Amino acid sequence: MTLSVATVTAIHAEVARYPSKKTALLPALKLAQKERGWLSTETLGEVADLVGLPHSHAIELASFYAMLFTEKVAPVRVEFCIQLPCALVGAEAALDKTAKLLDVEMHGTHGTRHGHTKDHQIELHGTVECYGACHRAPMCRVGDDYVENLKTDDDLKKLVGDVKIRAQQAPKH
Amino acid sequence: MPIDYQPILLPNPGRTTAVTLAEYEKRGGYVGLKNALEKTPDEVTGVVKDSGLKGRGGAGFPTGLKWSFVPKMPGPKYLVVNADESEPGTFKDRDIMEVEPHTLIEGVAIGSYAIGCELAFIYIRGEYTVAGDRLNAAIAECKKAGLLGQPSTLKKADGTPFVLDIIVFLGAGAYICGEETALIESLEGSRPMPRSRPPFPAVAGLYMRPTVVNNVETMANVPFILEKGVDAYKAIGNPPNNTGPKIFCLSGHVKKPGNYELPLGKITLRQFIEEYGGGTPSGLPVKGVLPAGVSAPIIHSSQLDAVMDYDGIKGAGSMLGSASFIVMDDSVDMAWASSRMVEFFRHESCGKCTPCREGTSWLEKTMLRIVDGKGKEADLDTLSFVCKQIAGNTLCALGDFATSSVVSSLKLYKDDYLVRIGKKSSSDRAAE
Repeated sequence: MTLSVATVTAIHAEVARYPSKKTALLPALKLAQKERGWLSTETLGEVADLVGLPHSHAIELASFYAMLFTEKVAPVRVEFCIQLPCALVGAEAALDKTAKLLDVEMHGTHGTRHGHTKDHQIELHGTVECYGACHRAPMCRVGDDYVENLKTDDDLKKLVGDVKIRAQQAPKH
Repeated sequence: MPIDYQPILLPNPGRTTAVTLAEYEKRGGYVGLKNALEKTPDEVTGVVKDSGLKGRGGAGFPTGLKWSFVPKMPGPKYLVVNADESEPGTFKDRDIMEVEPHTLIEGVAIGSYAIGCELAFIYIRGEYTVAGDRLNAAIAECKKAGLLGQPSTLKKADGTPFVLDIIVFLGAGAYICGEETALIESLEGSRPMPRSRPPFPAVAGLYMRPTVVNNVETMANVPFILEKGVDAYKAIGNPPNNTGPKIFCLSGHVKKPGNYELPLGKITLRQFIEEYGGGTPSGLPVKGVLPAGVSAPIIHSSQLDAVMDYDGIKGAGSMLGSASFIVMDDSVDMAWASSRMVEFFRHESCGKCTPCREGTSWLEKTMLRIVDGKGKEADLDTLSFVCKQIAGNTLCALGDFATSSVVSSLKLYKDDYLVRIGKKSSSDRAAE
């Protein structure tokens, strides 16, 4: 399966944009992931070919950055920041409540926790990465979107309702 | 009582939408750039030097001096804005980019003119997609108005057109990209691992060309300096070492967390927490404060009368850094707090330097063992030993940062560790 014409065109535009084609590799990987959901070995090779670089360069980047996925992930990812500023104001309790509302069994301890719904449509993570929303904590990211000020049970119920709708609308895992 | 001060970096507190070009120009926007273009590039650098502006990203290096290091040689030179704001507790650059994108763009334009750059980059952390979209929209407004791109409506002092393009580049989730040489590596399409120096970026940076890397807030200070002049800028703050305004991020155990733009050196930490932050929600006393996200030593509650500037926070045993204040009340177990910070650094170590890669892993394992109640007294010595092996032995500051909370919490709050390892009861600690 090859990348869509729109993605290939966008990658070519990135290559033309910078003084060095290698700079285009990261944006190109993100464009491919946006279409495919994750970066398989085949996709990494395809992107590297489009940019005009060895496949190993694409693997090097994809295996480093937290926002690039080299394994298949659920179509809806919910990531709670549980770094100190958020943890001090109840982020871990908010994560636990969200897991319960989504019927997700969580694994891991301390700052690294994760789980998924039984249908694998939703992944839930507690991470030590800070997302720069400490003044509106607790917060989480749903895909690329920030959901902030998750202070009450009603806030979390609304979050879970919205996440479930996204999961229903997303392609099946 | 909050002090009388009119913010210049974030003049619209509470606003959540981006200021448009028309709004920005109405309040004097791009006058600083036009003033700059009437001077020679060296004169502009001289003005910024004279202002006393220091880098607002954390290191506090004098901005004008940094610009003056760029050699006068033909060929491309680059200005790169470090917008990879990833320090826990820090959310000031996000507000500037989302609400005041033109202030940043004008600062970039002035800096680019000063160093002779025609293509600038704004490197934003991958998660800040809203900031990226708004900056791109603001750049499009500028291009339409002839302020950026070609044809340009602006002329330089030598009569030639002022030509500048700005590319907004989003990262993909890596704290290490906040380190300037790792950021350059990331922009070049390599794994973001810090470079050995020399050469410094001013000589051989992006694409091995002369490059200046400046933080978002630093660049946002520049338009005011060129619009209103050095004296007006120096009138803000606490000269000679602490001129200008600073955005102080406030989070953790306070009633009113947020970004507060204030002159450097005009209030104490206690005033900041109580008068601006509203005090602790629990009513419990403050136990400690982290002044630079999780990267600098914890300030003990006995030091809350420290003045909020570079010198004052240094005098309290820490450093101002990005000025991201995380307040912890008396309920916080500092062993737990430190373990969470150590987990962050283990996660974010790029792995290039052995002391950092291995050391943060040792710190994390030892800390989590202690927090889980399985630690021994010898583990406290292990923590100190590992910190000594990391500090000063890595290419970038991440290694040192990782040790800050451990060393300071062991020094200031050792009882919290002793309780965790069963050498002291929590009631004994409370009684003390």
